[in-house]
Amino acid sequence: MQFDSNQLIPVLPEIYILSLACLVLVIDLFIKQENRIVTYGITQIGLLLAVAITVAVGQPQTQIIFDGSYIRDPMSDVLKVGIFVVSFLAFLYAKDYLRDRDLFKGEFYTLGLFAVLGMIIMVSANSFLTIYLGLELLALSMYALVAFNRDSQDGAEAAMKYFVLGALASGILLYGISMVYGMTGTIRFDELGGAIQKVGLDNVVLVFGLVFIVIGLSFKLGAVPFHMWVPDVYHGAPTAVTLFLGSAPKIAAFALAMRMLVDGMEPLVGQGGWQGWQGMLIVLAVLSMAIGNLIAIAQTNIKRMLAYSTISHVGFILLGILAGTKEGYTAAMFYTLVYALMSAGGFGIVIALSRRGFEAENLDDYKGLNQRNPWFAGMMLLLMFSMAGVPPTVGFFAKLFVLDAVVSVDLTWVALVGVFFSIIGAFYYIRIIKLMYFDKPSDESPLSMGVDTQVVLSLNGLSMLYLGLFPAGLLSICHTAIGG
Amino acid sequence: MENIYLLIVLAPLVGAILAGFLGGSLGRKGAHWVTSTGVGISAVLSLYVLKRFMFDDQEVFNGAVYTWMVSDGLHMEVGFLVDQLTAVMISVVTFVSFCVHIYTIGYMADDEHNWPKTSLAGKNSYQRFFSYISLFTFSMLMLVMANNFMQLFFGWEAVGLVSYLLIGFWSVRPTAIFANLKAFLVNRVGDFGFILGIAAVAMYFNSLDYHEVFAMAPSLADTQIQIWGDSSWSLMSLIGILLFIGAMGKSAQVPLHVWLPDSMEGPTPISALIHAATMVTAGIFMVARMSPLYELSETALTFVLVIGATTAFFTGLIGIVQNDIKRVVAYSTLSQLGYMMVALGVSAYAAGIFHLMTHAFFKALLFLAAGSVIIGMHHDQDIRNMGGVKKYMPITYWTSLVGSLALIGFPGFSGFFSKDAIIEAVHHSNIAGAGYAYVLVVAGVFVTALYSFRMFFLVFHGEGPRDEHAKAHLHESPKVVTIPLILLAIPSVIIGYMTIDAMLFGDWFKGVLYVLPEHDTLAAVQGMVHSSNGMLAHTYASVPFYLAMGGLFVAWYIYMKNPEIADKIKTMAAPLHTLLDKKYWFDEAYQFVFAGGSRLLGKFLWLAGDRGVIDGLAVNGSAFSVGWLAGIIRHLQSGYLYHYAIAMILGLTLMLGWFVFA
Amino acid sequence: MTFEKFIFYVLAAVLIISATMVITRKNPVHAALSLILAFVASSGIWLLAEAEFLAIVLVLVYVGAVMVLFLFVLMMLDIDVATLRAGFIKMLPLGILMAIAMAAELILVVGPENFGLDKFAAPARHAADYSNTEELGGVLYTVYMYPFEIAAVILLVAIIAAIGLTMRRRPDSKYLDPANQVVVKRKDRVRMVSMDAEKG
Repeated sequence: MQFDSNQLIPVLPEIYILSLACLVLVIDLFIKQENRIVTYGITQIGLLLAVAITVAVGQPQTQIIFDGSYIRDPMSDVLKVGIFVVSFLAFLYAKDYLRDRDLFKGEFYTLGLFAVLGMIIMVSANSFLTIYLGLELLALSMYALVAFNRDSQDGAEAAMKYFVLGALASGILLYGISMVYGMTGTIRFDELGGAIQKVGLDNVVLVFGLVFIVIGLSFKLGAVPFHMWVPDVYHGAPTAVTLFLGSAPKIAAFALAMRMLVDGMEPLVGQGGWQGWQGMLIVLAVLSMAIGNLIAIAQTNIKRMLAYSTISHVGFILLGILAGTKEGYTAAMFYTLVYALMSAGGFGIVIALSRRGFEAENLDDYKGLNQRNPWFAGMMLLLMFSMAGVPPTVGFFAKLFVLDAVVSVDLTWVALVGVFFSIIGAFYYIRIIKLMYFDKPSDESPLSMGVDTQVVLSLNGLSMLYLGLFPAGLLSICHTAIGG
Repeated sequence: MENIYLLIVLAPLVGAILAGFLGGSLGRKGAHWVTSTGVGISAVLSLYVLKRFMFDDQEVFNGAVYTWMVSDGLHMEVGFLVDQLTAVMISVVTFVSFCVHIYTIGYMADDEHNWPKTSLAGKNSYQRFFSYISLFTFSMLMLVMANNFMQLFFGWEAVGLVSYLLIGFWSVRPTAIFANLKAFLVNRVGDFGFILGIAAVAMYFNSLDYHEVFAMAPSLADTQIQIWGDSSWSLMSLIGILLFIGAMGKSAQVPLHVWLPDSMEGPTPISALIHAATMVTAGIFMVARMSPLYELSETALTFVLVIGATTAFFTGLIGIVQNDIKRVVAYSTLSQLGYMMVALGVSAYAAGIFHLMTHAFFKALLFLAAGSVIIGMHHDQDIRNMGGVKKYMPITYWTSLVGSLALIGFPGFSGFFSKDAIIEAVHHSNIAGAGYAYVLVVAGVFVTALYSFRMFFLVFHGEGPRDEHAKAHLHESPKVVTIPLILLAIPSVIIGYMTIDAMLFGDWFKGVLYVLPEHDTLAAVQGMVHSSNGMLAHTYASVPFYLAMGGLFVAWYIYMKNPEIADKIKTMAAPLHTLLDKKYWFDEAYQFVFAGGSRLLGKFLWLAGDRGVIDGLAVNGSAFSVGWLAGIIRHLQSGYLYHYAIAMILGLTLMLGWFVFA
Repeated sequence: MTFEKFIFYVLAAVLIISATMVITRKNPVHAALSLILAFVASSGIWLLAEAEFLAIVLVLVYVGAVMVLFLFVLMMLDIDVATLRAGFIKMLPLGILMAIAMAAELILVVGPENFGLDKFAAPARHAADYSNTEELGGVLYTVYMYPFEIAAVILLVAIIAAIGLTMRRRPDSKYLDPANQVVVKRKDRVRMVSMDAEKG
């Protein structure tokens, strides 16, 4: 095969992020602690540039290179931009937190950028091998980040659990991949569908492998019953890391599901029956929505609460995917992007309320926030309403599109379950609003935030409203990306 | 042109936002400058658009500007339909609104005296008022420029909301709060019908776009639907009547007219804005816009006609016994709206819109003149306390005379052409109820003349104000008040003569308003009078002219020449007077039946339903059980790594069992 | 039964037994040694499958480097085995039950009826000069170049993570700089003080 450097153009975002990570790694060595802001600056400017590069190499056609290991299509472009933007937000919110706690170190950004690299590799993977390696790259960076605060017992414990369970899940995933490979003889997603058709849809080994793959996937997503790590890790990790962990990787996890199940194994969807991945995802989605929302109610720690809320949102994302139609994928993608933004904003507020020596982790810390800072109480209100799915915030539309997609494939009962648990879930979001607006503050100190955080956090909150009033723009982007 | 249309809509919105959110820092001057400039830009551009349509054969614009969302093939969009009808409407709306903006600068100049010193709402009330009236203009423009039912509904509701804010602007006055609540609730009743109508359109046409719906309408003309039981309904009649119920609320038709007189509690500029150019005309405009639907149902047309005629006559009667200067004008508005509805009912849509336009000018004029008098009288609105104002306020006097003559349809004035055209159209109509309507609208002419000139004579002629103190301070209003009066007086005189040939007898509305040949009453009128000059020449032969003159004379005789007669008649016809004074007891009946009834129902539901079933069983019961369940399930999260691992493997085993071996 | 089959079964039996011992031995050093045995047995199976390179790498890397390092760590730390195994007995019945169910499911699927010779023909035996290493290298640097690069990045991240998590400068750690020790002069350390004698 003739090598032509033009072939590398689609893979520029990956090359660029890798170079950026290495650059940050090296430059950081020569920077004194008081100038650490330079590392942060390079990272953030770099992420913005990455958006520009991704847009520049984007085009409507699909490109597959590296002998089928790599794919660049509209979906990957959109998801990459989403990952960059959300990571940018996460790093920005995290800055003050890290600085206040003597965690403002270059490794955070190096590892963070490698995690971003892992995510975009997953987004652009066209073979099981690539997607698995991207997953491991992301996971490895995350394990280290969770334990980032070395003086924290909780952090170490959380990282340990995450690592062991993650390894177990990776094993399960690999076992499933090996089964599918054994039957079909290919690991390329663009060839897998045809190979599956040839082997036969009712092949027991394929379904066997599929179960393993779906379970590996649902661990990464945090779907019930493979969700156990989520609350402990969210809780134990430094809030800055939780923020990052809870936002951008969800986009990558969505890509993981789309690439493996839809690009690769769409013939195994098993419409209307309990054989294919549709049935498996129904089980996972229903359990996630139920358990996630129910347990979230009993939480008094907001990080744990948001962890369970993540689980329930994952249920909704799965709901969109399991519809098995373009409409459903579009809805799930919309939901994922919106959720990543909501989650970043929500944790951003948690960080904003914390300060040196005080973590605003308990729900009681939100009492009377409206009196302390009405503007950010309003932002939190928007974010919570959006998570609960109250119109006119965008969360409502995200849920609506997903439910619409599910209903249109005659799975009305699943949609009803979704609605039912959303209502139960609304309780704990609105409880925060009640605490903020109707209770007396137990702590009168004003919020301390940098101007940059204030501006971006406000934009983040207002975007919930803006996207809710004008959802068509984002929806049509998702629509084009899915190619429906 | 698309940008011009966008600018027309957005300029008032920008003004409203700036004055509303930055009012404190802009200051009073800044606020009235930004809003007036915004509306001024809209007015100039609207007139330009109108000019393009009149002289340059501007093409009709129909397109979406923004797609809000698509649901089940139903496009929800922001889009504009700009044709001749829209061009007329936006010109009228923005021109009158512009005059009102200027006038407000004078009228609200010392608004702080209307608020208690400690009131927070009184702070920056001047700027807020400007923000509201600009927002009102924006809402109305959205309504008339809509090319789909969605946006129509948005404008409809926005107009309702801002009118609520404006009527209750002086929120420290209990009467104002009562009035705005009343306006809102009554409009809600109308809107309920309206949204049902839109829902019916969406359901049977599966589209919200005007053009698509109108194009499909003939094919659904004979559709019968079952709503409940076996009774069968004509779809078109149902849609027509439901939409018209919305129009009844907005355009204050009997029996949903009760809010309008009370809305006089708001400051006078908004009375002019609501009653002349914007809110109340929304219903008229809507029915005219929907002419392709209404033409398909004679039932709906008859409904419109009968309601309109009833409103036209009976609310006019109430005007005779009112003593509040603004209320007299308000009842005259009700009556004139009735005339417009009558025109729509007999398929003379063009005449309805034509009257809407002329009425917008002279009614705004009358309101602003009344406001000018009110300023002069230091906010005393009782006409019995006035008199002889003529010599103190000459400009107000002459402009009021112009407005009153236009209102009663004095030959040559704009009201003459529009009202006579309507009456003639009813005369030529054959649909059910036309006879009833004809009698009422003709009699209404006499009534109109009577109450208009009763007020005119009582205010401007005769002895000076009773209160010597008021007399000493009575003088002409400042220029910002009188200039809009003069600006409005000019079209009140000439607009009718200038435009009737094009609008009624020409093809201005060709392709915009849709009339079935067998309903075309205007053609019949044209066959008789041929043109504007023909109408003037026919004056001697028209009954309405003599009735108007009669009314004028009676008013002069009773209130100027021989005032004792008034009291005599009052005692002689005491029951009739009470009936009119109490406005047919509509208010009392509504208060008792609806307000009282719903409170009773509410109390019952609160005690039995809310506290018993919902709070007791549903909310607390389910909250308790959910909390209990959550408390149990959370123990699964033990924190032990091997528990988690076992849970994963267990899940794997079970799923394998289910999906592979089941 | 051919000799090859015999070897295979022996190696497989060793593998299973040693793997079981990894998780059942109480002493972690014994467990680690069992793991080494398991590696060796599986590398033998690789050899049978004509994958010499993998077999050698398994022994070199895992047995030679990783496990030795692991053993060093184990021997240096005093691990309290009792607490580690506290939950083991309690969960044992459930664990065994699930293991049996899992094994049954695996055997049912991954058996001759799905993977038998009638489904997949046995691969042809390669010639003596066939180089497994060369084949691997060939695809690794061409077809699988992209995953290979990613794997390299993963190793880099592993290094960064390990250093980031473990390297720390303790402010309270005491160490001596020999260079400073050498240049010390007497007057730096000794101060002559003249005092008046105590009275009374």
